[in-house]
Amino acid sequence: MKPSLKIGVLTLAVLGFGAARMPFEANLSSELRAAGLTPMPLEIGTRDKIDQTSSAVVLGGLRTLVATFFNLRAFSFFQEQRWDDVAETYRTIVDLAPRTRYYWETGAWHSAYNAASFYLNDSKLAPLRRREAWRSSIIRGRAFLERGIRNNPDDWNLLAYLGFMLSDANKFPAFGDSDATFSAAADAYGKAVKTGKALDFVQRAQLYSLARVKGRELEALALARKLYAIRKNQTPTLKTLLFVLEAYENPKLEMEKRALEIFGTPEASYDALCSHWQRTRERYPVHGVAEALQALEKTLKIDPKNSIFNQPLQSPTMTDDWFSK
Amino acid sequence: MDELKPAVEIRNLVKDFKTSFRRQMLRAVDDVSIRIMPGEVYGLIGPNGSGKSTTMKALLGLVAPTSGHCAIFGKDSLRVDSRNDVGFLPENPYFYKHLSGAETLRFYGKLCGLKGRVLEERVTELLGLVDLQGARDRRLGGYSKGMLQRIGLAQALVQDPKLVILDEPTAGVDPVGSRQIRDLILKLRERGMTVFLCSHLLEQVQEVCDHVGIIFQGKMVREGRLEDLIAIEDQTEIILKDASPELVSSIHRLVENSAGASVVRVGKPRTTLERLFLRETLREDKP
Amino acid sequence: MSRAIHSLSSHLSRISVIALHAFTQLVRMKVFYFLVVFAIIMIASNFFDLPQHEGPESMGLNVLRSIKSWSLGTMTLFSVVLAIVATALLLPKDVEDRTLYTILAKPVPRLDYLAGKLLGVLMLVFVSLALMNLLMTAVLHIRTGMVMEDQMQMAKTLGWPPDAIAAMKAETLQQGPSWSLQGAVFAVFLRASIMASLALLISTFSSSTLFTTIVSFLIYFIGHFQADARDAYLQAGAAGEGVFARLISLLLSLVLPDFQLFNVIDAVIEGQALPLMMLGKLTLIGLFYAVFFTFASWFIFSEKEF
Repeated sequence: MKPSLKIGVLTLAVLGFGAARMPFEANLSSELRAAGLTPMPLEIGTRDKIDQTSSAVVLGGLRTLVATFFNLRAFSFFQEQRWDDVAETYRTIVDLAPRTRYYWETGAWHSAYNAASFYLNDSKLAPLRRREAWRSSIIRGRAFLERGIRNNPDDWNLLAYLGFMLSDANKFPAFGDSDATFSAAADAYGKAVKTGKALDFVQRAQLYSLARVKGRELEALALARKLYAIRKNQTPTLKTLLFVLEAYENPKLEMEKRALEIFGTPEASYDALCSHWQRTRERYPVHGVAEALQALEKTLKIDPKNSIFNQPLQSPTMTDDWFSK
Repeated sequence: MDELKPAVEIRNLVKDFKTSFRRQMLRAVDDVSIRIMPGEVYGLIGPNGSGKSTTMKALLGLVAPTSGHCAIFGKDSLRVDSRNDVGFLPENPYFYKHLSGAETLRFYGKLCGLKGRVLEERVTELLGLVDLQGARDRRLGGYSKGMLQRIGLAQALVQDPKLVILDEPTAGVDPVGSRQIRDLILKLRERGMTVFLCSHLLEQVQEVCDHVGIIFQGKMVREGRLEDLIAIEDQTEIILKDASPELVSSIHRLVENSAGASVVRVGKPRTTLERLFLRETLREDKP
Repeated sequence: MSRAIHSLSSHLSRISVIALHAFTQLVRMKVFYFLVVFAIIMIASNFFDLPQHEGPESMGLNVLRSIKSWSLGTMTLFSVVLAIVATALLLPKDVEDRTLYTILAKPVPRLDYLAGKLLGVLMLVFVSLALMNLLMTAVLHIRTGMVMEDQMQMAKTLGWPPDAIAAMKAETLQQGPSWSLQGAVFAVFLRASIMASLALLISTFSSSTLFTTIVSFLIYFIGHFQADARDAYLQAGAAGEGVFARLISLLLSLVLPDFQLFNVIDAVIEGQALPLMMLGKLTLIGLFYAVFFTFASWFIFSEKEF
């Protein structure tokens, strides 16, 4: 066969083979992408951010390797407290490795906790600026975490972390409306529980948040009752919240008697309710607590001088105080 | 009848090569025909570049003829099974240097379908034939040129073929090694093997071959039995040992008295430089 | 004596002789020795700690991920280099050394010769990967044990409940050595095999090792865009791209192999499981490519003259 003819036949064969395998490959490709086994094509923006050699490695198929290196870079930015660079790097990292929970958690943590604390104490900025920086860091952290949840809807850890962040006494003032925030926290915890893989404490945490939402007290009460039925769940906070919510439902309840039922002894009841009374920063509801405490003080014959009502309370979270210097 | 089938049949072989860039084809082999019967030792001689190697390669299917036909024992050269009956020793062969002598033979033997004990025995037998038992486990990288040619010959014989093709078997080999190879070829002839060799060392061809073909610029210019070709027909040679001067003069008188014949030359025959060399190095004492 | 040349068993025996020979020839080349040793060193370097922050709960897991991605990256790089370079030099070496003549002068069909050489290279790549895999798994296993110990310590001091400890243990184990990880290594092998057979094809019409190597690497890189080209072709028209662009993407997607399919490695490192079925499909594709390229090589090689 003449060489030119040979090359012609070969070219046809290659094209033919290509045509034959195209449907098979296209199918397999989408199957793999659907199963999350091969990554979606990288965004153009991300491609710009990673440099040439990293691009080569990424194309070679090792995005996680590049993500690892970027993680190291983010760590050194963290050590130098370059918060914008940290956030930017984490955005690139999660583009490369969107299904690695660690990166979402750490990125959110750097924004909402490390950066925020830094701005809290940064005396170089004026108070108003500091407050704004603090607020926006926390909001950025939340947004980042929520994006992570969208990418990993089955991951209970990320959901629980979101719930934790939103119900954190030091954080929720950044979000404005506290009811909406606690509500969101409770919902996040609830979704985590729904995945079926969450640990037990998550459901309790859901209650702790739900109880603080004005307007969903009855929902919280139902949950409290459900949890209380299981012995393992009977933590002090849960017991207290059960009491408080029952008091909300029925203001005419005999407070002291119910407290004794729940806590067992007058001393235990008094201790528990005193601690709860003093936890003003977390904005737990206190329905019926004052009544019960008064009754218990009489029962326990506590000297009015030592009454709990004469002790100073924690000041509720006042961001103005933090930034007044 | 197998006997009548020629061992090698090359009919009107033409091979053109394209020289790079120029449109002109180079005709390396131009209408060459060779026929070798079983048991013959055929020498193809010619200057460098005359088409000897190309002819051999066409016979072995390494090169496809532009026109014409090549066959080994009746089987077309372009078919793989034609190579069952032939062994080939290329010019200046480089074998795999990392293998030892025995390993090399084993490798080629396996490629021909030999295995197990049969293969091992064959390897030992061949190493004995070519006188390389002492170096059987040495890597080929440490072999001398003569040893390489001999292991090459052994490799060509590994599947006990009926035809052996040798391309310049003694090129670059010292006289001692050359002698050994020549002896081996003669041994093969005794066994009835057909040998097709090409060379430009004419004296060695003369010693070994019984048929010869002279190829020049791709064309076969002269072909036939060696004896027929080189005999100077009108001369006769008689060599006497311990002849007295009286005997010599009486022979002179005999010749003068016969019609037509004349004495061309009387004197002491000369030995060749090769024989002198061998006598000195191997302590042989042949005239 | 006529021996059957065309029986399957004789084909297989010749192919295996040539394959084994090619393997030993390559292994004895110092270059490959150094390559493999270097790769092993790179993987063994995972034994040292990288400076990174670890939060208390995910303590140590990131180290395991780093080990995996670094090792698999090394394996990918080295297996592709080995596959391409080893194949690229086999045929030109035989031609240059004229050992090719002695082999083809024997009753050895040219297809057997090519298949044998390719298999020899695949054996080399397989053995090297197996060694690297062994090392990676060993290092990973040890490190996982160390991480788990640290985690147990921490959990005890913090007084975690048993179900939390069990969950953490399960997660750590999932990040350690697993069957999916072995599957990912096999995917690396498959990709290298495709490259080897492609290099074989190119080496049949180029007689230069360098040329074959360079072209093969180019195809390897561009092949990663094949999936993008194919997507562009299949979805084009809607975006109003010209006929010309469509034609180019069609050509690219027909000619180049789709290497992105084998990028399951990242997902496995992130903790995804690789189902056997997917691995099976990938193996099938790899096999198709290898067989097609080998036959294509034979097509060119069968009439090559020496």
